[in-house]
Amino acid sequence: MSNEFPNDPFEQLRDAQAPAPHADARQQALAAGMAAFAAQQNKSSAPTQGSGWGQRLTAIITSWKGKTIMDLRIPIGTAAIALLVLPLGYQLYTSTSMTPADLAEQPPAVIVQPPAELAATEGQVTVPETVRKSVAPIAGRDQSIAAPEPAPLQTMRVMTPAATAESDALAMPAPQSSMVALPSQPSGDTFAGFDEQRLKSVVDEPVSTFSIDVDTASYSYVRRMLEDGYVPEPDAVRIEELLNYFSYDYRAAESAAAPFRPSLAVYPTPWNARTQLLQIGIKGYEPAGGADKASNLVFLIDSSGSMDEPDKLPLLKRAFALLVDQLSANDTVSIVVYAGSAGVVLEPTVATQKAKILGALDQLSAGGSTAGAAGIALAYRLAEQSRVEGGTNRVILATDGDFNVGIDDPDALEDFIKSKRDGGVTLSVLGFGRGNLDDATMQALAQTGNGNASYISSFREAQKVLVEEIGGTLDMIAKDVKIQVEFNPAVVSEYRLVGYETRALNREDFNNDAVDAGDIGAGHTVTAIYEITPAGSGAGLIDPLRYGQTTVAPEAGGEIAFLKMRYKLPDSDVSQLIEQPVTADVVYGDIAEVGVDQKFAAAVAAFGQKLKGSDYGSAMGWDAIEALARSGMGSDESGYRAEFIQLVRTASLLKPDGARSAPESDGDGKVPQPLL
Amino acid sequence: MGLTAALAKEDASAVTRALVVRAQNGDAAAFSTLIAAHYELIHRAAWKWSGNASDAEDVAQDVCVKLGRAIAGFDGRSAFSSWVYRITINAVRDMQRQSMRQARHVDAYAEVAPADHPAEQEEAATSAQLWTAVRRLPEKQRDAVLLVYAEELSHAAAAEIMGIAEATVSFHVHQARKTLRELL
Repeated sequence: MSNEFPNDPFEQLRDAQAPAPHADARQQALAAGMAAFAAQQNKSSAPTQGSGWGQRLTAIITSWKGKTIMDLRIPIGTAAIALLVLPLGYQLYTSTSMTPADLAEQPPAVIVQPPAELAATEGQVTVPETVRKSVAPIAGRDQSIAAPEPAPLQTMRVMTPAATAESDALAMPAPQSSMVALPSQPSGDTFAGFDEQRLKSVVDEPVSTFSIDVDTASYSYVRRMLEDGYVPEPDAVRIEELLNYFSYDYRAAESAAAPFRPSLAVYPTPWNARTQLLQIGIKGYEPAGGADKASNLVFLIDSSGSMDEPDKLPLLKRAFALLVDQLSANDTVSIVVYAGSAGVVLEPTVATQKAKILGALDQLSAGGSTAGAAGIALAYRLAEQSRVEGGTNRVILATDGDFNVGIDDPDALEDFIKSKRDGGVTLSVLGFGRGNLDDATMQALAQTGNGNASYISSFREAQKVLVEEIGGTLDMIAKDVKIQVEFNPAVVSEYRLVGYETRALNREDFNNDAVDAGDIGAGHTVTAIYEITPAGSGAGLIDPLRYGQTTVAPEAGGEIAFLKMRYKLPDSDVSQLIEQPVTADVVYGDIAEVGVDQKFAAAVAAFGQKLKGSDYGSAMGWDAIEALARSGMGSDESGYRAEFIQLVRTASLLKPDGARSAPESDGDGKVPQPLL
Repeated sequence: MGLTAALAKEDASAVTRALVVRAQNGDAAAFSTLIAAHYELIHRAAWKWSGNASDAEDVAQDVCVKLGRAIAGFDGRSAFSSWVYRITINAVRDMQRQSMRQARHVDAYAEVAPADHPAEQEEAATSAQLWTAVRRLPEKQRDAVLLVYAEELSHAAAAEIMGIAEATVSFHVHQARKTLRELL
């Protein structure tokens, strides 16, 4: 940039951002200002001739010169000093005369000087002692405004002139440490903590129950963090969302009446030679192309100031443009924003009027604070207003983490969403950006609203969620899908569900239709993996009970486990049951024999466990995970699996194999201790 | 849109004027509001002129004290913010001269004098070199350049702050460009 000036080099100056002042420095400054103000008030209200003089003098000067105070003091003030306080003035003059010529206009020097000096000479001594004392030494420097300070200020100001250096020294470390700590704590995103699923003994707890989860937000987030060179925090890694990000080629169901069929496989665990993995895969029924379900979509868009970043509102606009392209004449779209004030940007409009919809989108701009407004209520009102029977009625909330949609209390918000959900309007959440993302709230709202939570990190991701998986996003084929697996203690001694920590259900919840669970959309695939320890293999980690009942081999010979799934059809409140035993038919002796989908899923699970520093499976090397994923790549038409392999490589660099069970900050630079 | 923005600005300056009058009449609360509202401006300008976070905080405190003492004398001829700018710029200059002098007096101060902090924050800015060069300009040129470009003020506003004619501001900017070509 130095030698040629293609443009005005000064234009660059406006880009600099001053660092925020320290809160305490600000406080101190304001307090000092107030003290000075108070002192000044006292001084001027005191009936001294000195200040009277001073005021008159200032007034004369200003009116005479017709200019503002600061400029005039130069000649008059210097003259006053020279004439009135000759010895002191002389001293001051000699010391300042050493400074360069343009020093002549150092106005503050004189501004307050005259009154104090006058007061002193006139003998109406208000602050003579301090003035003398301070003028003498301070004359040496030209911080002259400090010179005539009255007593109260003098104590205050001890801080500033003499201790400038010290305060510098004190103030120094703070910015430094914050500067250094920054890169290792890149995100202000919040995640709900959860404990990993523990290993369970089949004898004690033969039944495992959980709700399915079709969210994928965690994978997008993890990918983004890794691509930016950070190891995501462990709570950000939800293995089930990593697994379900990818679509697998499971057997499809035949009809909408029985919307899915489980695909089962048992194969050796890649990270533990003595255990096996039980993989349960289901694929939602995909209606034939002709059946176009009407949908009524209300976009509830966060347009707060924080959305004004390239990966937020602009990306969102492009993403919605994609979505609108997918809609047809029996679909309606409305747009509501919540920001400074809630407002309807677009009344319900038929989706074929693309120009109108996209025009409304284009006019959105981020600004203002995310203030409490009736945004969500408005969105639901629009959704109910243009409700379509038998179709999808959905509010799609797009935000970077500000959930001030009008209901402050999170519980009240969930209740509200729940009541609307029961009325037939569901809610999906799309997360954008980084730094402010409130993952836990996002998940909770989407779960409550029977929708899905997705994290849109890039245009490509928007394409995946809103175009490729549009069916799953909009067309729910079964709701409240729960899975219950009962293990046969004769065959399996211990088991552990990989992931689904946040989706665990109680055993009795399975048959309770009132208990909410995950929903599955058209064409969605859901994968769950159990790590099981065969009975009698000696690989068990839990010792058998000394006084426990000796396991009686049940009659169900050869059955490893029994799978039960409950779901409700979209417009039913009564659940259906699907049952299927896990038999020896689905057992593979070698991982090389299983299908690509199984291999890939196992690699993803291993990746998730290792990335979050799990107690299980972390020993598997990155190389082995990569090799496994590579063997499970299949045709990979959309390229997501290839991308995953790249991600494994990135992770292996950021969190090398040696650094096992190291704290999360490892690999992206240590957090240095603050210097103080 | 433009209209409302202009109105808002008008309102803000009316509020500021009212606060100044109240503070001049001895209303401490008004003065408190006033300096709290202007602290960002003061600190930002102090940082831009000095290029040093801790200096900026010290200068900002000095300026608050000066405002407290001098507000009674503010005659309202210029905008209050212009006056604040002027005081801030002068305070930075005083501070810099003082530290220069302290560096010459190699006495007790010498050990702790804030010699030359590496300007931490501007490293992040795109043009650290440019900033350093601009800060080294002669004072008038520097003030003109920073007011017009870094603070994005009009030449008229800069002229009001610097107490010079508008044409002179343009002249200083022009001079700065020439000087800078040699510096960079």
